[in-house]
Amino acid sequence: MPDRIADIWGGRTPHAAGTPWPVRVDRYVDEGVAEADIDWVQSACVLCSNGCGMDIGVQDGRIVGVRGRASDRVNRGRLGPKGLFGWQANNSPDRLTEPLVRRQGQLQPASWDEAMDLVVEKSRQVLNSAGPLGMGFYNSGQLFLEDYYTLALVVRGGIGTPHLDGNTRLCTATADFALKETFGSDGAPGSLTDFDHCDTIFAIGHNMAETHTVLWARVLDRLHGPDRPRLVVVDPRPTRVARAADVHLPIRNGTNMALLNGIQHELIANGWVDHAFVDAHTVCFERLERIVMRYPPERVAGICGVPADEIRAAARVIGTAERLVSTCLQGVYQSHQATAAACQVNNINLLRAMIGRPGCTVFQMNGQPTAQNTRETGANGDLVGMRNWQNPDHVADLARIWRLDPLQIPSWAPPTHVMQMFRYAEEGALKFLWIVATNPAVSLPDLGRIRSILAQERLFVVVSDAFLTETAQLADVVLPAAMWGEKVGTFTNHDRTVHLSEKAVDPPGQARPDMDIFLDYARRLELRNIDGDPLVPWGTAEECFEAFKVMTRGRPCDYSGLSYAKLRGGSGIQWPCTDGQPEGTERLYTDFTFNTDPDLCEDYGHDLVTGAGHERKDYAELNPAGRAILNAAHYIEPNEPPDDEYPFLLTTGRTAYHWHTRTKTGRVRQLDAAAPEAWAEVSPADAERLGIGEGDLVRVESRRGRLEARARVTGIRDGVVFAPFHYGYWDASDGHTRAANELTMTVWDPVSKQPLFKVAAVRVTKLADAGGTPSSAPTTTASEPLIEGVPATAGGEGVRERDAQEEQ
Amino acid sequence: MKLDKAIEDVHEAESELATQLRSVGERHASEADLYHLGHTLARQCAEHARRLAPFAERYGAAPPGGSGMTQSPSVLEALRRTGAKLIGKSEASGLLLLRDLRHLYLAAQNAEIAWVILLQAARAVRDPELIEAATECHEEAEARGKWVRTRIKESCPQVLASG
Ligand code: SF4
Repeated sequence: MPDRIADIWGGRTPHAAGTPWPVRVDRYVDEGVAEADIDWVQSACVLCSNGCGMDIGVQDGRIVGVRGRASDRVNRGRLGPKGLFGWQANNSPDRLTEPLVRRQGQLQPASWDEAMDLVVEKSRQVLNSAGPLGMGFYNSGQLFLEDYYTLALVVRGGIGTPHLDGNTRLCTATADFALKETFGSDGAPGSLTDFDHCDTIFAIGHNMAETHTVLWARVLDRLHGPDRPRLVVVDPRPTRVARAADVHLPIRNGTNMALLNGIQHELIANGWVDHAFVDAHTVCFERLERIVMRYPPERVAGICGVPADEIRAAARVIGTAERLVSTCLQGVYQSHQATAAACQVNNINLLRAMIGRPGCTVFQMNGQPTAQNTRETGANGDLVGMRNWQNPDHVADLARIWRLDPLQIPSWAPPTHVMQMFRYAEEGALKFLWIVATNPAVSLPDLGRIRSILAQERLFVVVSDAFLTETAQLADVVLPAAMWGEKVGTFTNHDRTVHLSEKAVDPPGQARPDMDIFLDYARRLELRNIDGDPLVPWGTAEECFEAFKVMTRGRPCDYSGLSYAKLRGGSGIQWPCTDGQPEGTERLYTDFTFNTDPDLCEDYGHDLVTGAGHERKDYAELNPAGRAILNAAHYIEPNEPPDDEYPFLLTTGRTAYHWHTRTKTGRVRQLDAAAPEAWAEVSPADAERLGIGEGDLVRVESRRGRLEARARVTGIRDGVVFAPFHYGYWDASDGHTRAANELTMTVWDPVSKQPLFKVAAVRVTKLADAGGTPSSAPTTTASEPLIEGVPATAGGEGVRERDAQEEQ
Repeated sequence: MKLDKAIEDVHEAESELATQLRSVGERHASEADLYHLGHTLARQCAEHARRLAPFAERYGAAPPGGSGMTQSPSVLEALRRTGAKLIGKSEASGLLLLRDLRHLYLAAQNAEIAWVILLQAARAVRDPELIEAATECHEEAEARGKWVRTRIKESCPQVLASG
């Protein structure tokens, strides 16, 4: 195996359009472990939403390595650096192994009984004094389907509060909403195999070379193949994806909406619209046309800060594509006018009739490995099984399956989003907050505010996690949770592929699977259904999965044809999987009938500018009846434009080597060494103006806080500063100047309620000279330095391994 | 023909709404969505006035007056904002919020119906340019009211049914 820290994407296996992606098996096993001693246990990677199939290697009850599953449709054996090395976090010596309870201001060890009794006693107190609206639950994008579904039943059905959201709100809420707005329901229309078929890729705000490294390996194999697809990329940073592009538009962040309107202007003006398709299978074209015709390339060029001819060139590539895959991610979802812009990406494919056929689709990508499941189970801002909270029949159906009075299920408004929950906590209306496997003290915007909310005496905070995170340190009760590999369950990736992940080893100490913790909570709270029986009728993960199948039958995410047995061996399977489609479904909407029937749809839609919710009567009037909806909106000015005081635009993001707040990847020596500390990227022109050189210590300040880090001078757009959001404080001793979210703003998209991390005004000042030490930011990624002589990011000791083929 | 009157009514209603959007946004600055959207929509009111300017001239209406369209927050608003930070930490802010949102809803509805009236008149005098402008502005005016309505529906359970 090559050094997979230095070579993130591994060796090329080029192939032509329409031919299968060749297999390449990647593996990494602890030094000195003999192949013959390893038991391999089926699983998939939980370090991004690609969900690569992998086996976990076990020796003497301990995880010793992983290998990609050659048979899996998602990765065909490949793994990226996070997948190859990330499992070592399970074996960290500082895992939480016993419950902790705050006594005299200190978190101290306690028994499970003691901790859970306290949680239950506090819950009862709040329920008695404030009612269900005093209770909030904030979970993750990294649990398993079974954990989420149990939580959804306990909270929505049992407690009866709408205050349940997932941190998927920060990563894929906009994907979810954009799909609902356009197609009537959540669910990726296409398949990852569409990248194998396409002749054109349009990637906006999706640095897949770092966020989904194995997907980028897939695309690279096409780019190196005999019929290279054309590539249009929108990103203010010189990402690896941008560098491979035929047309790269490094637009000013916050202006996606203007650009996408401009591209649609060109599609219409040049006759690149399939009018027969649009007439037959979409609604609202006239309004879209009226709005986008106000965005000729010259006007858009002024707003976005890229030449008009480049916009025309991009539109020409998209407009003349024969098989177009469009994809977007956080550069759209966490930016200004998030849902509105994401809908325009859908529009582009619809205008060109590029959907429902091999090589033709739009990806509203996910970020987290199991984000899709929070959406399907209703553990975030949705109702279970992609039901519509405004549709009384859907709510009644849910109540029937759960054996509850429909009135018990909160459906008077959409489920509460996390930023609103924190607002309720801030004003004292929310008194109990249970945070599961997520780290808001580093990942939410405006951290000074978040810390002060969590630290309030009047808010009782429970945290379940595998580590003592920055958030756990602020909790009243901390519950030790089992991780991936320590429990059985299923999860679903961004092309609807469901994987089974088996239990490979026991959790450390007294740590327990999250589902078991919720079951224990429900039992102690004595939650019951309408018949007086225990509310949650299952005791094991597999029983929960079987119950979820019943819940999804006939809904868009139909799991009814799946089972643990069926998911064992072979490849993951794409839902809907039913008796009629027992092998799953590669593409949705192949007959161009979308989920926009008012009785079927998951949502009645919103006004994209204000987020005003449409009601059933509005939807009926629109009468999409199976046709896709072309949503349109004008570009509006961002909320915090740069000014004299704060002249730069901040954007935050991730690097290939880390996951979220480094709770896991920061504890993996290879990944930690590849990107050990925070940095701030600036352009050469800005660096010169400010007198900053590579490695100089700089301060980046916004109206809310400050970040201190070494500067990395890169080819980033002038006027833009980038900072990775991974770095918090669990492994730092000094103040609060390491997390990028000290700088970001409390603001969210009006439709998806996703916080906007990509637009904040900042200023930059030099604090100290580098003294010859460059920033330690990776050189292998978008953070590649411009000057020579910076040591290249490489694996070092323990990363190189024998080649898998060599060995066999 | 009294289209000047209809245009002046729109100006007045939009100006009043802009004032309220800003002051509700500032007063409830701890409600981040109200703060940001309040200011965004107040700017939209100013944009509406700009769009009407040629028609005001055409039909002899007075130019828009009132302070609602000015961009910068006044001293009073800055003071309100400081107050908002304190109020923002107490549960009492909920009832205040509901009251302000109700008033905002009425102002939004008032502006919406003013556009309906102008649009009807434009149709009757067969002015295609004014019809187009009024149709588009009315669409946005309708969305504003609907937004406040949505916000009220989402907020009131927490304020009224809890505690
Ligand atoms: S691409 Fe994502 S799922 Fe695949 S190995 Fe890398 S982190 Fe894991």
